[in-house]
Amino acid sequence: MPSLQQGVVRKHKPDYMILLFMGIIMMVGLVMIYSIGHQRANVLNNIFGTNYPEDYFFFNQLTSVAVAVVAFFAAFKVPPKLLKKIGAAVLVAGIAACLVLAVAALVSGGEGNAIANCTYGACRWINVGSRSFQPAELLKLGLLIYLAIFLGARGRQGKVNESETLLPLAIVSGIALFFIVVLQRDLGTGVVVGALVLSMLVVAGVSKKILILIMSAAVVLGLIMTVAVPHRRERLMTFLGGDSSSIEDDDAYHVTNAKIAIGTGGLLGVGIGNSVQATGYLPESINDSVFAIMGETFGFVGLLVIIGLFVILLSRLLKVTYFLHNSEGRILVAGVFGWIAAHMVMNIAAMIGLMPLTGITLPFLSYGGTSMMFVAAALGMAFGMSRYTAHSPVIEGKESDESSSSRRRVGRPRYASRRSS
Amino acid sequence: MFLGLQKGSRVRILAAFLFVAVAAIVVRLFQIQIIDHGKYVAMGESEYVKRLTIPARRGLVYTLDSGKPVPLVVNETIFTLFLDPKIIDEPKKIEDVIKKVAGGNITSDIKEALKKTDSRYQVVAKELTRKQAELIKKEKLAGIGFQEGTRRVYPEGGLAAQVLGFVNGEGAGQYGIEQALNERLKGKDGRLESVTDISSVPLTIGDKNINQPAEDGENVVLTIDRNIQRKTEQALKAELDRISPSATGSVMVMDPQSGKVLAMANFPSYNPAEYNKVKDAALFSNAVLTNSYEPGSVIKTFIMATGLDNGVVNPETTYYNRDYITVGDCGKDCTIGNAALGHTGNITMQTVLNYSLNTGAVTVAKLLGGGEVNKSARDRIYDYYHNRFGFGLKTGIELYEEQGIIVSPDDPSGANVRYANMTFGQGMNITMVQALSGFSAAINGGNYYKPTVVAGAMKDGKYKAAEAAEPVRTGVVKPATSDTLRSMLQTARGTTLAGQRDEPGYRIGGKTGTSETITTSGYTKASTVASYLGFGGGNTPKYAIMVRVQCDGLSLEGGIHAEPVFSEISNWLIKYMKVAKE
Repeated sequence: MPSLQQGVVRKHKPDYMILLFMGIIMMVGLVMIYSIGHQRANVLNNIFGTNYPEDYFFFNQLTSVAVAVVAFFAAFKVPPKLLKKIGAAVLVAGIAACLVLAVAALVSGGEGNAIANCTYGACRWINVGSRSFQPAELLKLGLLIYLAIFLGARGRQGKVNESETLLPLAIVSGIALFFIVVLQRDLGTGVVVGALVLSMLVVAGVSKKILILIMSAAVVLGLIMTVAVPHRRERLMTFLGGDSSSIEDDDAYHVTNAKIAIGTGGLLGVGIGNSVQATGYLPESINDSVFAIMGETFGFVGLLVIIGLFVILLSRLLKVTYFLHNSEGRILVAGVFGWIAAHMVMNIAAMIGLMPLTGITLPFLSYGGTSMMFVAAALGMAFGMSRYTAHSPVIEGKESDESSSSRRRVGRPRYASRRSS
Repeated sequence: MFLGLQKGSRVRILAAFLFVAVAAIVVRLFQIQIIDHGKYVAMGESEYVKRLTIPARRGLVYTLDSGKPVPLVVNETIFTLFLDPKIIDEPKKIEDVIKKVAGGNITSDIKEALKKTDSRYQVVAKELTRKQAELIKKEKLAGIGFQEGTRRVYPEGGLAAQVLGFVNGEGAGQYGIEQALNERLKGKDGRLESVTDISSVPLTIGDKNINQPAEDGENVVLTIDRNIQRKTEQALKAELDRISPSATGSVMVMDPQSGKVLAMANFPSYNPAEYNKVKDAALFSNAVLTNSYEPGSVIKTFIMATGLDNGVVNPETTYYNRDYITVGDCGKDCTIGNAALGHTGNITMQTVLNYSLNTGAVTVAKLLGGGEVNKSARDRIYDYYHNRFGFGLKTGIELYEEQGIIVSPDDPSGANVRYANMTFGQGMNITMVQALSGFSAAINGGNYYKPTVVAGAMKDGKYKAAEAAEPVRTGVVKPATSDTLRSMLQTARGTTLAGQRDEPGYRIGGKTGTSETITTSGYTKASTVASYLGFGGGNTPKYAIMVRVQCDGLSLEGGIHAEPVFSEISNWLIKYMKVAKE
């Protein structure tokens, strides 16, 4: 896809800040898992009679990080041309995986079987040997690549706001959301997909009118989906009930303990290894709730640093988008931004009672392989795109700028030049 | 906010979304972590700081056996069995095992308890022995837990039950020494405060952990002698059995030289190990201390002591006995008669005691008033009865006691007739412990000791006797008065049948008492309280004994129904205490 530009913007060094901050966040995550993993093992062993070694979770997470780093560099190495070819394939693979899961889930009657891994009737995971895999992540990646290419191409043709663009977009997104939200009952991931697509649409140059229309539709749809499903309604009630809701409800208990963990942390936190909430009070302490444990451990200052790390990482993605003249590439990077930002915001907001609980992971910090691997792959692609930035920004709607400005300043991007000085 | 992005760039929209979201998050975090920090710390503590009480071991109670402490009340570890229905996976087996091992201890329906699956604590059996608990533990069943507790065990059975009292289900001492010395016996519970994980396993996290060990209760040694107590209970029971199945009685044995209570027995009694089976709470009371009554003629000892001490009479002092005597000028109402008739004419004060003549006792009162029972006589009697012998005053014994009533000489109801009646023990209410404590002072040379049941404490297996108590009042009577009184009591006992029951070579002193009881229609002779008050051990009395027996509807007499108990105990004590012949 960037073939048009390849002659124009010379491929330069990628934005290493992306790699650096992803690495820092991963390291923080490892430290966290190292400090609370043994407690997690104890809790599970005591309550469920499992037999996890104390360092089980740490080494598993280390493996996940290694896999994620490999995925990151693999995605980075994929030539843009190849990306264009495999986009549709990845999407189809994602849909296929979801289909397999849906069928397996149907066969199992929501109880789970050798293939479908179900919790409380929601089947979101496919069992792969002793591990499991979340097809929605693959679907997200497929959607990201495919829509980036699709929208990029349409954008160059100036047809972004036309129905021949919007209709296929709606159909593809609709299929993805149907699998995720309806079949897998995963509204959280659905919202992430929505954010991902919307982010791409924003930089793809879709008119503000249509954007507002889509967002309104999404909100209405989301509300309907929420009210229609009992467990989501409960989560919403828990959320609206705030601290006054009774702690007996599982979600309320979860949120209350997350807030206790964060609130207990105070300004500077209780310190590594001193988390009490991680000893079994806070559910999912190493997965979805790791932010709360970090709040307890590192306090307000620590959380600001962690949020800061994400903000810097996300800002780098915005910068890449801003300076990337290749349509497909910039839409893709915007999608990656939407993906990571949605995960971060939804995870944290749920922990502090700003949003209902959705079970969304905190990228690179939450325990678990699938999510991290795919986010890393997406980020790896963005990292790859960062090699094609120009000096001048792209102002959407000024198509003529694209070629002339980049032509004027062929050469090293400012990141590269800064680094070499 | 826009990262230096130019106006018009769509990236600014994304940046704005991120900024708003992050700003909201940071504000909220500031609220939770900084503003509401204290609130969440408190919520957290209430969630994961567990406060455990380490129960203090209740002190043991010892009795003496010829001066050597032996345990009378000990503790036994028992277990309360509870179920955690939430995690139970073998309900049938659990039910079977509990029924097999501890069938008799089951307190609530196991099936019902097992149904409460959202509960984590269901007590189904109580008071299991260690062995039972271990048998159940051996089955390694999930969801069964034990709570350790203790229960009081009584190696001597019901011995001295009313002295001891019992410990109720809440661990509080009730009645007797258990209640009176509850604070000393119970010790101080320790505290364990710890941050725990969700399974209540203590963590080493934080600085809120408190570990304050329990201070065990004091081991108390009673002055009660095991053998004397047993003999006393047996003697009382045997006599009451002879009188009537419904007869009741009390006996107290005291060391007159120290106020130490050697035995205190009441019948009927109860077994403190089965206190919860007792239907009539009156059984728990120690009637020696709590049943104040009109003591009757045993009190003539005290009016005689008052007369002797004031020098108005001696054993040879005579008066003319007409078998009745008039007090004041109120006619028939003021005439007092004798119970034992026929000893008329000029008789001595010794004869008065020998035959328990009311007219003689009133005569002493008259002599105290210079010829009439008047204000001066009343003041003197009150001074001795109340201020010196301690009648109508709490003795200060460690146990719960009644105060009794001695009407003040200045009280309108404290008229001359009442005081005349008080010379032979009517018109006043006192307890046996008051009578025996006062009696001890009257015969030991005039030293009033506070009666006590606590001899000392056992600490680390060693008996530490309390320091010998000083008398609370000295000079209650002159030593010479004491000498004369003892002699008169010995003579009085010796002239009756009772004296023939004594071991040859010993001079035992004593005085009978038979008091009419008050019913709604006044004094009645149909039900009388028989008593006997005496001592043994010669010029340095070794023991003082008071016996009281009664039975509704029976007219009991001191010399016939109470005195045999005294004789039985007295003769046995002579041997037990190795009292020397005079």
